Amino acid sequence: MKRIETTIQNLKKDIGHFYQPELYHFIVMNAVDLGEKIELQWFFGDYTEPFEIIAFCAQITPDVEIPSITSIVPSAWVAEAELVDLIDIRIENTSKGFVLEPDFESGPLRKGK
Amino acid sequence: MAKQYEIPVGAQHISLLEPLHFKFTTENEKIVSTTANIYYVHRGIEKACCTKFKFRQVSFVVGRVCGLCSISHTTAYSQVAEKLIKIEIPARAKYLRMLVIELDRIHSHLLCLSHVAENSGFEALFMKTMQYREAFMELLEAVCGNRVQYDFSIVGGVARDLKPEVAMMIIGRLKKFKSQLDELVDIFQNNWTLGLKNKNAGAITREDAMRLNVVGPFARAAGLAVDVRNESQELLPWIEVGFKIITETGGDAYSRSLVRLREIYVSMRMVENIINGLPESALITETKAFPDGEAVVRIEAPRGELFYYAKGNKTQILERLKIKAPTFSNVSAMLEGFEGNEYGSVPAIIASYDPCLSCTSR
Amino acid sequence: MVPCRQLLPRTILACHARHDEKRLMMKTFFKAIGNLFKRPVTVRYPFEKTYIPDDYRGVIDFDEQLCIWCRRCEMACPPGAIVFSQDMQGKQTYHYNRAVCIFCKECVRTCPKEGALLQTNQPAKFALKEENINNGWNALFEEAVVSREKYAAEKKRVAAEKAAAAKAATAKQ
Repeated sequence: MKRIETTIQNLKKDIGHFYQPELYHFIVMNAVDLGEKIELQWFFGDYTEPFEIIAFCAQITPDVEIPSITSIVPSAWVAEAELVDLIDIRIENTSKGFVLEPDFESGPLRKGK
Repeated sequence: MAKQYEIPVGAQHISLLEPLHFKFTTENEKIVSTTANIYYVHRGIEKACCTKFKFRQVSFVVGRVCGLCSISHTTAYSQVAEKLIKIEIPARAKYLRMLVIELDRIHSHLLCLSHVAENSGFEALFMKTMQYREAFMELLEAVCGNRVQYDFSIVGGVARDLKPEVAMMIIGRLKKFKSQLDELVDIFQNNWTLGLKNKNAGAITREDAMRLNVVGPFARAAGLAVDVRNESQELLPWIEVGFKIITETGGDAYSRSLVRLREIYVSMRMVENIINGLPESALITETKAFPDGEAVVRIEAPRGELFYYAKGNKTQILERLKIKAPTFSNVSAMLEGFEGNEYGSVPAIIASYDPCLSCTSR
Repeated sequence: MVPCRQLLPRTILACHARHDEKRLMMKTFFKAIGNLFKRPVTVRYPFEKTYIPDDYRGVIDFDEQLCIWCRRCEMACPPGAIVFSQDMQGKQTYHYNRAVCIFCKECVRTCPKEGALLQTNQPAKFALKEENINNGWNALFEEAVVSREKYAAEKKRVAAEKAAAAKAATAKQ
């Protein structure tokens, strides 16, 4: 697994330069609760050799709004909708309610819940 | 402009095997757009694996995410846990894992094909395919001890050994099944009424498949040659036991049935090669280490690419486990594949997509 | 102008089917007639036996003479189907719930003494209402854990008293 560190401000620029639909495919978006910060990871896989997995990682505080990559990768809306409900982060143009019921306590995957 | 109607195919429907919900916007019975709702069976497995269960017990929890691809989940979790505790498993365990994965692929593809036939109205073919599948369920019971929940891969190796009389039974049944499979291929390929229902139903092009990151037989039927068994040989030696990738052009329900049937031939040959060349060694590697660091693993489940990410923190309980099921990647393409089709073909199209919602909304 | 293809009845369209489709139609037709004279393939289940292998995964058997009471099986069991309770003299008792067990054999693999735990090939018997196998087991599990803690606390208290008495005895001398 190859890690590439990036930030929220450079996210769209980095992924836009990197992603080409003939060479890479988007696997999933993930978030890990590290205590005070949350680490976000975007995983991409190769179509051609050497078939490795590339992860773009960024660390944020929980109240920042994260840009959405659906303009570059159209099928990423499912992963983003899931994380908005389960880890209680904010992503642009994505609303809650895809996974959990409205009266359920949001963010069950955070530590301490 | 004609009037538009919204028709739901709900979570409970007479032709659906899985709890999913589509809401179609139709104009004169032709579908214009779709929205989906897929989280009906969310059970919170990722949270349970990181709070309640120790890391060696998680392989049994994760095997219960899905009933059809249970061996793929346990094997992928065992591989990622072995990467975190940094051990290598013995050679015989690797080949036994591949044997059960391929037997599981055969029975899962036969189930999907029978469901496609049932939803296209051909009930006799549905019953015939299920009858042929019964032989494989008995084989899996002889190898793993149980028909559906195998609990076969554990962290460090495999749980049971393959006895010589079971190996003879597998080879005998595969020989008998070959002529039955030829008959099934003849019917799925040349039957006129089945072709009327399945040709040009739910079609996507190769460019669409690449743009929407589709995986599994769904992508291979559209011409996109993507298969994890082609791509990663370091954990399980797929090409050594005779794996070949199968693609078709066409991208519709008819091509998907043909891809699944041809994959059964490849799986049968791999099972025979594994049984004839099984090495002798131990079954489990013992260790007392705790998981540390982070690791990713991909494996080919019967429906596509399954992805696991795990992070450990030197204690018995994992810090984070992320599971990505193959149907999760296919949701956008499923919605696009409906466009332009008639509302009456929807059950046959959903069956040919082969969704597995238990994996998706774990 | 409606296309003619939609007006033709299906039998006439069948004449336009390709050679493979016609061959298959003939073959299926004769096979269907032949099936009228064959036995059905259904296994009449309670009256005929189905295939069950002899290493089927069944309930767990416990041998009390060989057990060394290390409790590793209780720590390894994924659903928590084994629990040991302890009375005030220190003797431990083994409790097993066949309805919670998933028959995975982890306890047999973790046990350091060969033969204390074994997997049989009998399936679990159905549970009756008077066994109270769900809520009764949850209560039993908590009681067993509490009884072990009580015994450990009692042992510690007795040891502390003895140490204090010994210290007082040596201080007197």
